[in-house]
Amino acid sequence: MYINWQLRELNLKIVYYGPALSGKTTNLEQIYNRVPADRRSELISLKTHEDRTLFFDFLQLELGKINGLTPKLHLYTVPGQTYYEASRKLVLRRADGVVFVADSDPARVRDNLESWRNMQAHLKEFGTSLDSIALVVQFNKQDLPGALAPTVYAPLMGLHHYPVIKAIAIQRIGVFETLKAITQRVIANVQRHAAPSGTLDQKHQPLETPYNTPARTGRMQP
Amino acid sequence: MQPNPSGPARLRSGLILYPSQNHAIDVALSELIEQLPARYVLLTDVSGQVIISRGHHTGLDPVPLASLVAGDLAANQEIARLLGEYRPSQLTLREGDTAHTFTVEAGAYLALLVQIDSHVPLGWARIMVLQCAQKLAQIVETPPPETQHRSSTSDSAEHRLLTGGDDLSDLFGNALDELWNQS
Repeated sequence: MYINWQLRELNLKIVYYGPALSGKTTNLEQIYNRVPADRRSELISLKTHEDRTLFFDFLQLELGKINGLTPKLHLYTVPGQTYYEASRKLVLRRADGVVFVADSDPARVRDNLESWRNMQAHLKEFGTSLDSIALVVQFNKQDLPGALAPTVYAPLMGLHHYPVIKAIAIQRIGVFETLKAITQRVIANVQRHAAPSGTLDQKHQPLETPYNTPARTGRMQP
Repeated sequence: MQPNPSGPARLRSGLILYPSQNHAIDVALSELIEQLPARYVLLTDVSGQVIISRGHHTGLDPVPLASLVAGDLAANQEIARLLGEYRPSQLTLREGDTAHTFTVEAGAYLALLVQIDSHVPLGWARIMVLQCAQKLAQIVETPPPETQHRSSTSDSAEHRLLTGGDDLSDLFGNALDELWNQS
């Protein structure tokens, strides 16, 4: 997070993390295609010749004035392939919030788990824990035959403590809900840390959106 | 949150710049541009968020450039660490036909990119860029006058802007709704 009080700017960094080919870049592409050009930057993609993310994708969104502040969201993706471990860690550095994009393909449960643990380890290295960072889980590719049901797999994978959102990013389904949920959680975190201790905690319980589940039950809306 | 007497004004892991620091940064970069001379200067925080850009570069959007500068810096730092040759304020140089470009970390929170014409001596430029980077680091790592007379940052109008009154989460949600539904 970077705040410039002279310019009244609040800059937040949100990272889309997850296994290879889970749809992290697709999320950013869909946001880029939807948001008017005067409210976003160009989409920067550092890709290999095979069109796979090499280092990161980047997109900035500018929101309208809020409380006299101009908030800017900096969205990054990490490269998903195991090979790019070092790059992934660098992109995650100083993130204010993380969207974990899980692949709903039943064959990829292990990849999801590996990526989740990998993210947890990196956060720990930065002195951050899963409890202290704003986090949202997106189960993408829900249109696949036999797609993982988040109600079943989120608890199995230990993800049920976080807002879970079903998505088909390629069809833009769940993309905005994910962006909104992570942004609101980041802001709740900012307020919690800026407030005298305890004053805001009760107001900012885990979010409920039409696409996510009350965090403690693991239930999802259809 | 208490002011941090030994470091920059920070909110959790982030960086907060006050107007006096903004002004000091502006002065430092203006001097650099004039003395080198530099064509273009871009200062970002280490997560890639633009702090200021100065000079002329037709059609260049500093926002994506800043994300690349931060990524470049992070990658170079990691390369140096893996090779066992990391130390603070290491410069990288890209030589071009008509211009050369330096990138350097300016303390723990900032990254600086400086582009100079190719006729400017590289040794001179290297010294000036490093000096400027040190000055910038000092500016953000010294508590600004705005915070020195407060018992805590919760006294500040800025702080109240973030915490008081309306529920910011809802306001951000509404702003995102508006952004998404514009097109």
